[in-house]
Amino acid sequence: MSIRPRRKSATALSRRRFVAAGACLALATGLKPARALNGPVIKFGLTPVFLNNDLQLLNALKAYLGKATGFGIELITRRTYQEVTSLLVSGQLDAAWICGYPFIQFRDSLELVAIPEWNSKPLYQSYLIVASGREAQTIADLRGDIHAFSDPNSNSGFLVTRTLMFEQGFKPESFFRKTLFTYGHRNVIRAVASNLAQSGSVDGYVWEVMRELEPELVSRTRVMHRSQWLGFPPIATSRKSADTGKTHALQAALIGMANDPQGRRVLDMLKLTGFAMPKERVYDGIVRMVDELRGVL
Amino acid sequence: MRISEHLRLPLIWRVPLAVLVLMFLVSAVITERVLDRLGTIQETYLQNIADSYLDGITASISPSVLREDSWEIFDALERLRPVNTKIVPVETIVTTPSGSILAATDPVKFPSLEKMKDGLIARFPEKKIRIEDGDRLAYLHRDIVYQNTTIGRIYAVFDASLPLAERRNVLSTLIITNIALTALLSLIGFITIRQMVQPMQTLERLMSEAVEGRGRRVDVSGRMARNSETRRLFMTYNSLLEADEERRNLSRKLAEEEKLATLGRLSSVMAHEINNPLGGMLNAVDTLKKHGAEAKVREVSLDLLQRGLQGIGEVVRAALATYRPERQARPLSRSDFHDAKLLLSPDLRRRQQTLELTIEGDDSFTCFCPAGPVRQALTNLLLNASAASGQGADLLLKAVKREDGLMIEVGDRGPGLPAESVKLLTGQTYRALPERKGLGLWVVRQVADEIGAKLELASRPGGGSIIRIMLSRSDITGETDHAS
Repeated sequence: MSIRPRRKSATALSRRRFVAAGACLALATGLKPARALNGPVIKFGLTPVFLNNDLQLLNALKAYLGKATGFGIELITRRTYQEVTSLLVSGQLDAAWICGYPFIQFRDSLELVAIPEWNSKPLYQSYLIVASGREAQTIADLRGDIHAFSDPNSNSGFLVTRTLMFEQGFKPESFFRKTLFTYGHRNVIRAVASNLAQSGSVDGYVWEVMRELEPELVSRTRVMHRSQWLGFPPIATSRKSADTGKTHALQAALIGMANDPQGRRVLDMLKLTGFAMPKERVYDGIVRMVDELRGVL
Repeated sequence: MRISEHLRLPLIWRVPLAVLVLMFLVSAVITERVLDRLGTIQETYLQNIADSYLDGITASISPSVLREDSWEIFDALERLRPVNTKIVPVETIVTTPSGSILAATDPVKFPSLEKMKDGLIARFPEKKIRIEDGDRLAYLHRDIVYQNTTIGRIYAVFDASLPLAERRNVLSTLIITNIALTALLSLIGFITIRQMVQPMQTLERLMSEAVEGRGRRVDVSGRMARNSETRRLFMTYNSLLEADEERRNLSRKLAEEEKLATLGRLSSVMAHEINNPLGGMLNAVDTLKKHGAEAKVREVSLDLLQRGLQGIGEVVRAALATYRPERQARPLSRSDFHDAKLLLSPDLRRRQQTLELTIEGDDSFTCFCPAGPVRQALTNLLLNASAASGQGADLLLKAVKREDGLMIEVGDRGPGLPAESVKLLTGQTYRALPERKGLGLWVVRQVADEIGAKLELASRPGGGSIIRIMLSRSDITGETDHAS
C-alpha cells in the first residue's frame, strides 16, 4: 500500500522537497536505529511510497511506536513490495506494513498483527482511473492505452485490474499497448494526470486521501471503475516472530493508537480511524482473485 | 553659382549634422559589436547550462532508457528539472534512436510511443545550441550513448526569453544612450561652431557694410573678440579698414590735386584765350584813339572789340561752369559739350587737330545728368585723346540720347589704349592709383564710379579708339544726390 498522508499544516513543504527529504529519511531512519545502542529494536518495514511522503508522519509514527512499545523503532524501507515482503518472510524484519496480495501469497509464512481501519472499516477499493476529460466508461474502452500499475505485488495497483482483464477475456500482452510500473500509488496518479499513461490502477484509499491533500493533481484524473471492497493492507509479521514480546508490544501499540493523543495525531495524518485486531476473512476477496489467476500470472 | 552651392547647408548646420551622422555610424557599429559579443556570451552561458542539464539527465536516465521504462524516465525528468536557475528547460523529450518517444516532460504534447516528427527533429542541433528569436526558445539534442552504442536521444528546449530580454534591454539602453549622446554632441557641435562662426558672420556683415561705404571699426575689447584668434582677425580687419580709408583719402586728395592741375591748365588756356583777342582789342583801342573819328574805322574797331570781348566772355563762362561748385550739380546741357570743345581748342590748335562735335536727340537729356562730373570726365578724355593722336588728327565727341539714357563717345586716332589703361577703365572696381601715367583716365574712372556710369571701349573706324560713357537713366537719377 502506498499513501501520501500529510497534514495541511505541512503543505509549506513542497513536493520536491519531500522527494529529496524522503531519500534522506530512508538513510536516516532505515540505517540508524534510534536506540540500537541502548536496547532491543523493532525493525518495522514500510512500503516504499510511504517514505516519499511526509517526514512529520514518519517521525510521529516512529515516536509513537517507540513510546508505546518501549522498544527502539527502526523503520526499514525498500523500493518494491517484493523487497519488503522478502525481508519480512526471511525474518530480517520484526513486522511490516504490507499489501494484502503479498500477505495472501506468503500466507504460510506470515501472521497478521493488525489491520488498519479506514472510515471505521478494514476495507478499501481499487480504482481504475483515467484522465479527467476522457469519456471511457468500461475497461474495454481502455484498449490500446499505456497503463500505469503501481507494483506487480500490489493488490489494488495490479491484481484487481489484472483479474478484471482476465474475467473480461482481455489478453494482458496485447490489450494495453504498454504497461508501466510506477512503484507507488501516487506515481500512478501522476502518470495519468500528466497523460504519460492514459489509465492507471490505484489504491482507492490513496486516491481519496490525495484528493484532499493534492486536489490540483488528483482533479486531473477521474475514477472510471471501482472494485469490490477488499481487505486493507495489513501489518504482518513472520510466523516465527508472531509470539514474541516485540510483536505483542507492537500490536498493543497499534491497537491502542486511537486512544492515545500522540497516536491519534498519527492516525489523523494517515486519515485512518484506527487499527483493529486481525480478521483474516477480510482478505477472502484477494484470495479469490489469487485463486482465479493461479496458473495465469 | 551652381544650384548645389545654393543647396549647401551653412557651416553652422553642417558640422552638427556631420557629428550626427558620425555618431549614428559609431553607435551602429558599437551596438552591433556589443550585441554580437553579448549574444556570444549568452549563447555560451546557455550552452553550459544546457550541457549541465543534459549531463545530469543522461546520467540519470540511461538505465531507464535501456529498459525503455517510460515512468522512470518521466519521473527523472520531473525530479531533475532545475529550479535554481532562471533559464529552465521548458520541454525535454527522450526518444529511442529510431525517434519513438519514451517519455517527455509534457506527455500531452509528446505522447509516449509516438514518433518525433522530422520537422521538429530538424530544429534541434546536436552540439551547438540554437536560439530562435521568434519563439524565444533554445534547442539542443544529445545522443545517449552506452557502451559505444546510441541507446536513445534527448531533445531539450530551453526558455531563452531571459537572455533575449537582456539583449533587448541592452539594445534599448544602447539606443537611448547613443541618442542622448548624439544629441548632446550635436548640440555641443552646434554651439561650438556657432561661436566659431559668429566672428566670421560679424566680419562678413562688417565687410558688406564697408562695401556699401558704411565701414566701421570693431571693438576688439568687446565680448565678441575675447578669443585671441578672433581678436587678431578683427584687428586685421580694422587695419584693413584704416588702410582703405587712407587710400580713399589719398584718392580724394589726388583727385583734388588733379582738379587743381586741370584748373591750372585751364587757367593757362583761359589766359591764352583771353590773351589772343587781347592784342587785337588793344590794337582796336589804339585805332579808335587815333582814328575813332572815322565812322568806318570806329565801326570795324568796335566790332573787333565786341567779338574779342565775346570770346573772352565765353572763356570765362566756360571756366565758371566747370569750377563753380553750385553749377556742377546742374543738369548736363548741350553747352557743356561746346564748352568742352572750347576748352580743348588751344590743344587742338597746337596740334592742328579738329574735333567733330555731334549731339543727337533733343535737349531733354539735360534733366537727369549732373554736369560737373561729366564735364570733368569729358575734359580729361578729350585731353587724353588729343595727346594720344598725332598732328592733324580728327577727334570725335558725340552725344547720343537713347531710350535708357545717354551715350557719350570720345574718339581719337591714337595707336590704341594700353592694357593697363583698358583695365583701369573697364576692370573691376579699381581704386589703386596708377603709378606714373594715366592719372586722367583714373579720374575718369573715379567719376564714372561716382555717378554710376559704365565705361566701354571700341575701335574707331579708320583707326583709333572710342571710349564710351554709358549713363543709364536710373543710375543717373539714383546717383544724382550722391554725386551732388
